[in-house]
Amino acid sequence: MNLKSVETCERTKLERFLAKVQLPNHYKKIGVIVVVLSFIALTVIKFITVDAIWIGPILKHVMLLGLLVISLSKEKIEDELIEVLRSKSYALAFIIGVMYTMLQQLANYIVDMILGKEEVHLDIASVQVLLFMLLIQVGFFELLKRSR
Amino acid sequence: MENTIKVERAILNLTQDELAQKIGVSRQTINSIEANRYVPSTVLALKLSELFKKPVNNFFKLTQND
Repeated sequence: MNLKSVETCERTKLERFLAKVQLPNHYKKIGVIVVVLSFIALTVIKFITVDAIWIGPILKHVMLLGLLVISLSKEKIEDELIEVLRSKSYALAFIIGVMYTMLQQLANYIVDMILGKEEVHLDIASVQVLLFMLLIQVGFFELLKRSR
Repeated sequence: MENTIKVERAILNLTQDELAQKIGVSRQTINSIEANRYVPSTVLALKLSELFKKPVNNFFKLTQND
């Protein structure tokens, strides 16, 4: 069995599929530009009166898409250490995302109770959670990459 | 796990970057392996073995903690 066959043996079908899902490295820049522009636009519409109420949610979805593109983009040199670090960052983002979802609801509940509101808000926007999780993933991945 | 990759690399007179290019990884990965921050996969260990023309056991050693 030659080295290439050994390498293929170690890769499951799922791993090979995941490798195909990834985008080329130059997509990372496109993702960063999309995230920055949508963030600026979201900040601007907070301070000006916009009649179209749909623009906020649309911009949040655009930001989500930008973060997903960053998250799925390959590195210039994609090796096994990068794969390990990426897996770790996804695991961390998932755990912190679940904790955030639980604590955010608890925080909302406590604040509403203190303020004496009759209607307690226990729901949390899915876009907010996904944005938080992707931000954590991208952030931790960069952090792990720098400390490797 | 400890290793003597740095010594083997010096014997072949290779820089971290040159070794990284030969086995298809980044220079940072070689640096992490040499500093014992990362234990490479079997595939990478075999690639190193092929390059150094030595068995894997010669440059990767288990420590008491393993």
